[in-house]
Amino acid sequence: MLKSTLNYNWQKSRPILGTLLTGMLLLGTGCSSSSPPKTESSDLQITIIKDFADVVIIPTYQQLVAKAAKLSQTTNAFTSNPNETTLKAARDAWIAARAPWEQSEAFAFGPADSLGYDGDLDDWPVNETDVKAVINSNEKITQEFIGNLQTTEKGFHTMELLLFGNNNNKKAKDFSPRELTYLKALATAFDATAKELLQSWQSGVQGKPPYRQVLVTAGDENNPAYPTVAAAIEEIVQGAMGCLDEVGNEKIGEPLATKSAEGLESRFSHTSLNDFKNNVLSVNNAYLGEVAMAGTSGKSLSELVAQKDPELDKQVKEEINKAIAAIDAVPAPIETNLTNESALTKLEAAQTAVLALFSTMEEKVLPLVQ
Amino acid sequence: MIYKRKIFLVLFLIGAIATISIPILLGQRTQAIPLAGGKTTVFNRTSSAYEQPSAGISQKNFDLHGEGDIAFEAVFVTPPANINPGLGPLFNNASCVGCHIRNGRGMPEKGQLLVKVSQNPSVTSGKVKDHLGNLEKTVPGGSALPVPGLGTQIQDQGVYGHPPEAKVEINWQEQTGQYQDGSQYSLRSPSPKITLFNGEPLPDSVMTGLRIPQPVFGLGLLEAVSDQTILDLADPEDKDGDGISGRPNQVWDVEKQSLVLGRFGWKANQPNLLQQTAAAYVGDMGVTNPMFPEADGSSDIDSKTLEVATFYVQSLAVPGRTLLKDQKVKRGEKLFAAANCNKCHVEELTTGNYFIPALAQQKIHPYTDMLLHDMGPGLADNRPDFDASGTEWRTPPLWGIGLTQTVLPYSSYLHDGRARTLEEAILWHGGEAEMAKQAFVNMSEGDRSSLLRFLRSL
Repeated sequence: MLKSTLNYNWQKSRPILGTLLTGMLLLGTGCSSSSPPKTESSDLQITIIKDFADVVIIPTYQQLVAKAAKLSQTTNAFTSNPNETTLKAARDAWIAARAPWEQSEAFAFGPADSLGYDGDLDDWPVNETDVKAVINSNEKITQEFIGNLQTTEKGFHTMELLLFGNNNNKKAKDFSPRELTYLKALATAFDATAKELLQSWQSGVQGKPPYRQVLVTAGDENNPAYPTVAAAIEEIVQGAMGCLDEVGNEKIGEPLATKSAEGLESRFSHTSLNDFKNNVLSVNNAYLGEVAMAGTSGKSLSELVAQKDPELDKQVKEEINKAIAAIDAVPAPIETNLTNESALTKLEAAQTAVLALFSTMEEKVLPLVQ
Repeated sequence: MIYKRKIFLVLFLIGAIATISIPILLGQRTQAIPLAGGKTTVFNRTSSAYEQPSAGISQKNFDLHGEGDIAFEAVFVTPPANINPGLGPLFNNASCVGCHIRNGRGMPEKGQLLVKVSQNPSVTSGKVKDHLGNLEKTVPGGSALPVPGLGTQIQDQGVYGHPPEAKVEINWQEQTGQYQDGSQYSLRSPSPKITLFNGEPLPDSVMTGLRIPQPVFGLGLLEAVSDQTILDLADPEDKDGDGISGRPNQVWDVEKQSLVLGRFGWKANQPNLLQQTAAAYVGDMGVTNPMFPEADGSSDIDSKTLEVATFYVQSLAVPGRTLLKDQKVKRGEKLFAAANCNKCHVEELTTGNYFIPALAQQKIHPYTDMLLHDMGPGLADNRPDFDASGTEWRTPPLWGIGLTQTVLPYSSYLHDGRARTLEEAILWHGGEAEMAKQAFVNMSEGDRSSLLRFLRSL
């Protein structure tokens, strides 16, 4: 997932040297304990982690669940009565469901990856050859059938291909009965997977404890993932970096380099720009401890940074806003504008803004929390 | 900035004093800061800890690592396609990261669990009928004989319209045991049920071995360790009489067309990372490549893609340790050595020359000797692979193992993923490691917990 950019590796040894030396001092004077050292911001750090789970991660997944349900409802309405109005409603619901998902990508750790939800919901590219073969076959499309499909034959982008068509010009009358059945089944499966993902954080799945519990108990002696609170705080920063890196270097970088729409993530619906923006909003939400879409907010990394370096906090916030503004300035849809020089200049400016934020996170914010 | 510099100066002075005083207080052992990957070590204790490029590599290599990252992430699809064609027709997963999620350890589940198969040379009846032509090549010198129709690995997925070779189901059996202090533990072991595409069970004559994905970071450093360094650790006849032998595997090198030291894989059956990667492309994804091409010599990916994907793995950094000052961790480290765990999980090795200069001549702390050890009947898959017997396994490195659940929650340990925790993994040790296991069983609860905390600090 992580595409790192320049200067990455050179940053690493400095902060840890300090930690190591501090550790050696504690060792040398016999002043050591089995728990992580309590720093003055420790209580704030613990609250930040708790709020990261409760006002950022879980509300984002709740939004996904709500919008996945709407997608399933509107898809059912369309497939049982295909016309331009019901089609538009289903497409709008698809676009709406993208927002919380892309806004979750700065914190994609935990069950989203390890239990395969990420792949089931959002694998890319679409295996178009197999999707056509499924449509052309007579095999009964059940939920079990969908469950056994490859991840490149379900989820957001297969639904997108079916809903919008290869060139975003599909009409309601163009849908074959098989396509309608396939689409409906995909939306049902998607809805169920989104619910399970939320459940994996809130109440636990497959007999496993809820992942929220793992995150908010960071620093406890037997915590399986985060033996220190600092490591959990660092998770917020590394997650933001990973997301920005991917938007800047891959999602924008790849089409900039190739001038081809093939590499754009949501190219069937012509909404890739939304994805870029929602990814930066994900970073915004993780940093500020808020989800505007859900109306939640709490203690955040921003406060921790402001305590140590108020100028830096200001800079991060400004750069987030600049990155969002730069993406907004790119003429939509970018899918049809890749041959347009002025659009490319804007896209490049958006990349620059996103990568500037990445560098600030890497070079200035990360050392503060490590 | 001035403020920061002052802090640094203070830390430096403190460090200097500590460096001088520690050896006096605690003896020589603590003098060396155990940097897992030498100067290539990165410091990241988060879910992205296994995804970092090695520190100190050149700009050119850094860029190459980035290209490799994209290749490693590429999800293959059924041809024809504009992006990433070449999947299958038979496969286990569609991308490198599909198995090696976040470059970490996998789980014994579809898409991640592999079933290696080979024909028992002494059995001539009950062989599997031919299915689809598979791409796995017969490698001369191997003791793992390909099963007609299946090759040496079951591909349990196929592109649409191509039935997979078999369906693999795992049933788990629980068994209980007891520590010396009376507390109980429970272990599980897998019992695979493999049904061929035609509905028949896999014949008993076919030997099977289950494999979960191994973490892929730090492998360049292990490739950079010289043959001689590894061979010097071997003691095949157990001449020192410590009950631990340590044997090198000798495996087929496709490029050199000769037998060489085996290094990678659960039984050290791959000689180098290029061949490991090429074999994974063709065996796990059905993606032909210049080392394992189609019959007509063409391939799904070119040599550049194969090389950058390999380079990505070669240049992935090892995360540095955490909790270095934690008393329990320090106690655990002593217990680890006292129980002779470090006879096989050798703490420190020095790398030799390597084509990535930053990785050469590094003092690394992988906790492996890269050798095969008889781990007893409990862990045996009874499926020989080159010189590795059915009970032998290569010592897996322990560096970074404390981040396993951070990177990939719920992932499990040992070759088939039977161990749900590090504690269970220790309890499965047998054979040459029986004494070390017994030492653990005999420890007090506090000591066991310290030993585990030490492992989680790695």
